[in-house]
Amino acid sequence: MRYPFPTGKKDFIQGNEAIARAAILAGCRFYAGYPITPASEIFEAMALYMPLVDGVSIQMEDEIGSIAAIIGASWAGAKAMTATSGPGFSLMQENLGYAVMTETPIVVVNMMRGGPSTGQPTLPAQGDIMQSIWGTHGDHMLIVLSPSTVQEAFDFTIRAFNLAEKYRTPVVLLGDAEIAHMRERVYIPHPDDVKVIGRKLPESEEEHKLPFGDPHGDGIPPMPIFGRGYRTYVTGLTHDEVGHPKTVEAEIHERLIKRIYGKILGHKEDIISYEEFELEDADVAIVSTGIVSRSAIRAVKMLREKGIEAGLLKLNTVWPFDFDMMEELAERVRKIYVPEMNLGQLYHLVKEGADGKAEVELIPKIGGEVHTPMEIVEKVVG
Amino acid sequence: MQIRFAGIGGQGVVLAGVILGEAAAIEGLNVVQTQDYSSASRGGHSIADVIISKEPIYDVMVTEADVLVALAQLGYDTVKNSLKGDGLLIVETDLVKPERPHIGAPFTRLAEESTGLALTVNMVVLGYLVAKTGVVRRESVEEAIKRRVPKGTEEVNLKAFRAGYEEGSK
Repeated sequence: MRYPFPTGKKDFIQGNEAIARAAILAGCRFYAGYPITPASEIFEAMALYMPLVDGVSIQMEDEIGSIAAIIGASWAGAKAMTATSGPGFSLMQENLGYAVMTETPIVVVNMMRGGPSTGQPTLPAQGDIMQSIWGTHGDHMLIVLSPSTVQEAFDFTIRAFNLAEKYRTPVVLLGDAEIAHMRERVYIPHPDDVKVIGRKLPESEEEHKLPFGDPHGDGIPPMPIFGRGYRTYVTGLTHDEVGHPKTVEAEIHERLIKRIYGKILGHKEDIISYEEFELEDADVAIVSTGIVSRSAIRAVKMLREKGIEAGLLKLNTVWPFDFDMMEELAERVRKIYVPEMNLGQLYHLVKEGADGKAEVELIPKIGGEVHTPMEIVEKVVG
Repeated sequence: MQIRFAGIGGQGVVLAGVILGEAAAIEGLNVVQTQDYSSASRGGHSIADVIISKEPIYDVMVTEADVLVALAQLGYDTVKNSLKGDGLLIVETDLVKPERPHIGAPFTRLAEESTGLALTVNMVVLGYLVAKTGVVRRESVEEAIKRRVPKGTEEVNLKAFRAGYEEGSK
């Protein structure tokens, strides 16, 4: 396979370009989208690259069609992705729930801009954190990753595909307008050095006939490919292991939804990723995710220079959230600060996790600019 | 080193920033390049930031510019406060009238004289900047220009860059 971009070397590219290249290296061969600032360059890159790797990139009539198309492509056996921003992500919520319910591996990229509604198209924000977790209706579970550098945008995209395939689930890659358009040096690995995980396929007649069963006890059913084997019924209605609708039996609904929760929450250690900076002896902790983490790292260094023992917990995985880890952190530090580009979303998760063991203070910022390190420092110093 | 380009849409400010960033990347330096522009494709302010360092870079935009390159009054007025007190101000002297010490040249006229195309002003000012600051090597920028400008326009852009470099070397 020849790739339409250089591999095994560093390149100076935008976050959006990095996401497109990573998707292709992760095995994505179907992209459907609808242009929207600040995610359009992902689509542009996919339109350019996909024909060169025997893949498909199509423009749909809107974002509802886009996510519907990638769900279909995934059932046809392809690794599939779409990318959008706030207004389009809102339109995708219904089918995001359908992907959860039908256990369809897809990657949905949301490059956040200022909202609500059409808001601030060209400017970064983190106002969709809660929506990415709870935007679709009903009890559901999915995975949300959030990069803070262009390199992470690349690395986390590969991870998003691997997690989607491994756990047969939609994964949201939650970036922002800043990461989307920022250019940095990114290492694009040689394809042989990229760890790529594919979905479990049915291996026996029974597994083929039970596309929503749990033959391995890990909560993850092997996924058949449309057109190869038996007829499979795929529905958003509550269904049994065969896939047939069973909409009034309490125990079937409970077993299905709890399995969907369990296949992710039961593998939290594999899924949750975070990084600590200067946290070991910290008196105050900053908890952040995404683009704000860059300013938070600088803020920690500035605070240390002032003699304040500050540390940072940077969340690479936003959801599932490790409430227990947050409680342990709260037991170790005096106070936790949560800088985020909204009026309080991650803050509520951190506060729930801290469970009163440490004071938690929000450092909100909206309007389209990332917190400066000094803005965080000033809040901490008081 | 924090370098900020400020102009209006259509002056190629972002491309100048991208090429400077690519040149730094070619030299193995860490570099972050970001931009800020209004929704208008022409006429609104257009800002391109380039931060270059041997250390990891956490900033996402210029906080205190070491160098501010202003190609239009609107762009200059939008971001003039971001230039350090002892920072270097480079201006398009026909189009920007700053109230503080500066260097510069009529870059648009220089572009027209060297290539016949006013739109190569971004390459002229890039040449001037590189000559004045030495932030990256001339050869790195020329390589970056070849990689980043539309196919078939390499020579005209290189010519404009060299004209600016010459002006900055005077």
